[in-house]
Amino acid sequence: MFHACGPRVLVAGLLLLAGLVCLAPAEAETCLSPFVKRLDRPEKFLYVFCLDADAKDNDFLAVIDVDMDSPKYGQLIYQLDLGSAGNETHHFGFTDDRTHIWGCSLFSSRLFLIDVASNPARPKLVKTLEDVPAKTGLTGPHSPYALPGRMLISFLGAKDGGLPAGLAEYTNDGKFIRRIDLPADAPYGYDVAVKPDINRMATSSFTPPNNYKKPLAQMDLKNFGKDVLIWDFRERKVLAKLTVGLSPLECRWSLKEGANHGFTNCALDDSIWVWEGDASGRYTARKLCNTGKLPADLRQSPDDRYLYVSCFLSNEIQQWDVSDLKKPKLVSTVVPGVQPNMMHITGDGKRMYITNSLLSTLDRSPNFWVRLAHIGPDGMKMDPFFNVDLTKLPTGPARGHDMLLY
Amino acid sequence: MLAPGLLAALVLLGQVAAESGSDFSRLAIIEPAPEFELTTQDGKTLRLSDLKGKVLLVSFIFTTCSGSCPATTHRMAFIQQGLRERGLLRDGRVQLLSITLDPVRDTPEVLRNYMRLYDADPACWTFLTGPRDRVAKVVADWGMWARPAANGQLDHPSRVFLVDRRGRIREIYNLDFLRQSWVVEDIELLVKEE
Repeated sequence: MFHACGPRVLVAGLLLLAGLVCLAPAEAETCLSPFVKRLDRPEKFLYVFCLDADAKDNDFLAVIDVDMDSPKYGQLIYQLDLGSAGNETHHFGFTDDRTHIWGCSLFSSRLFLIDVASNPARPKLVKTLEDVPAKTGLTGPHSPYALPGRMLISFLGAKDGGLPAGLAEYTNDGKFIRRIDLPADAPYGYDVAVKPDINRMATSSFTPPNNYKKPLAQMDLKNFGKDVLIWDFRERKVLAKLTVGLSPLECRWSLKEGANHGFTNCALDDSIWVWEGDASGRYTARKLCNTGKLPADLRQSPDDRYLYVSCFLSNEIQQWDVSDLKKPKLVSTVVPGVQPNMMHITGDGKRMYITNSLLSTLDRSPNFWVRLAHIGPDGMKMDPFFNVDLTKLPTGPARGHDMLLY
Repeated sequence: MLAPGLLAALVLLGQVAAESGSDFSRLAIIEPAPEFELTTQDGKTLRLSDLKGKVLLVSFIFTTCSGSCPATTHRMAFIQQGLRERGLLRDGRVQLLSITLDPVRDTPEVLRNYMRLYDADPACWTFLTGPRDRVAKVVADWGMWARPAANGQLDHPSRVFLVDRRGRIREIYNLDFLRQSWVVEDIELLVKEE
């Protein structure tokens, strides 16, 4: 007979507790897949996924030295050539073990697999997946999201660039596993986020490639989604279709263990919405607050208290206190420069890196940069000394989008 | 009653669907589980191919770990208990495996002592070690790695692999997802697969 509560298992339980204490840092990076190994030290390198601004030179991954003890602090120290141009390099994500970055490209549908562990200062391109539409039947890969030992990718379109969008899974070394279809009545795709402790997944909705590839003036604003889908993650099965504001982008589950709510920024509704699940398993969504114009990115503080929203058209980043979901409060605002877009917050919640390109078809300024805001008890303050100019590179200006830290 | 030809076509269609990775089962076919030949805690040789026909739950740990390994092995012990309660350990249909990431220190004797600490039943749970190079190859073949960390421990990914009766990886868990009820359900699904 085996007794789960025997003395040996009690000893094992003590070891387990010691292990869990080691595993659970008081502070941790947010807005990464929960399956990604977290940094256990301050960041040394900031990776920025960049596209050549005029799409004539190759796209690249920029490495910026952000080690505060380094003589090269705040400088771009390396550019990893991705071997092709015009990809519209966009979002990227770590594998679960944080050894590789998967980079998604919205125009070419290429997926770039980049080794960052071997030499974090000089990442290496190990594989480019050229056959993504053929394998998956999907185009416009958007969010690469780590699952244990594999990657889940959300896509914006079908093989022909229209609808329906979908999701696909790959092994960490780039072998296609399967496609997951969206329901016929909610065919738009954008972001994906998993909450493993309650076995839920959320997906959001933008517009397909044959619309976002057009110049802004020609885009069909009626061809955007307004749904957030809540899934049973283990079953990969949709449980609820929630109507929110037009074009819900990032999906951010509450960081609290067991919490059954999350947030999305609705880009064409100038608002943040919250979705909430109740004890019976029913989900609802409601507008949480109105934001500045075109809320393009949404980030969370490690303590789950604040949301940060970049307002692309009103040139500001807003910090919202959402500790009371009935009474969200705008607590600080900064203007980092024109058209702020992507943000990345450090594990201690004290620094936020910012880029300012959304899409080559939507950017309205040619001045591209990476900047830093410090976050303290009195809100966000821009660092006047940290400014990486992306317009004077050997290959000319580049649009910086998503960021990751190492 | 289905005509034999139609029945054969349906069986073939199901097989093609499963092998092409569509949603034939909620547990996708991720990839073939890599072969290994290692040494058990009793000093015997065990190959993956010896276990064909069984559903496997495979972890990678080392016995001096003070990070995720104790938690992983503790959860595996609860899964072992859950499998027993559901009658899934009868007839050797399910096998738990734990492969060391530190073969130099984790000798068969060390593994036997570690098993006792966690009430691992040797009838259904085998711990594996071997020569350093051979273990390193197995670790790499399974997409795992272990490297010295600053605190003197080994840094390594937290992954536990679920392998079906045909030797294919069907799920990969980490600690966040290694819930007893979920894993037992997944194993039961694979035990019942034709």
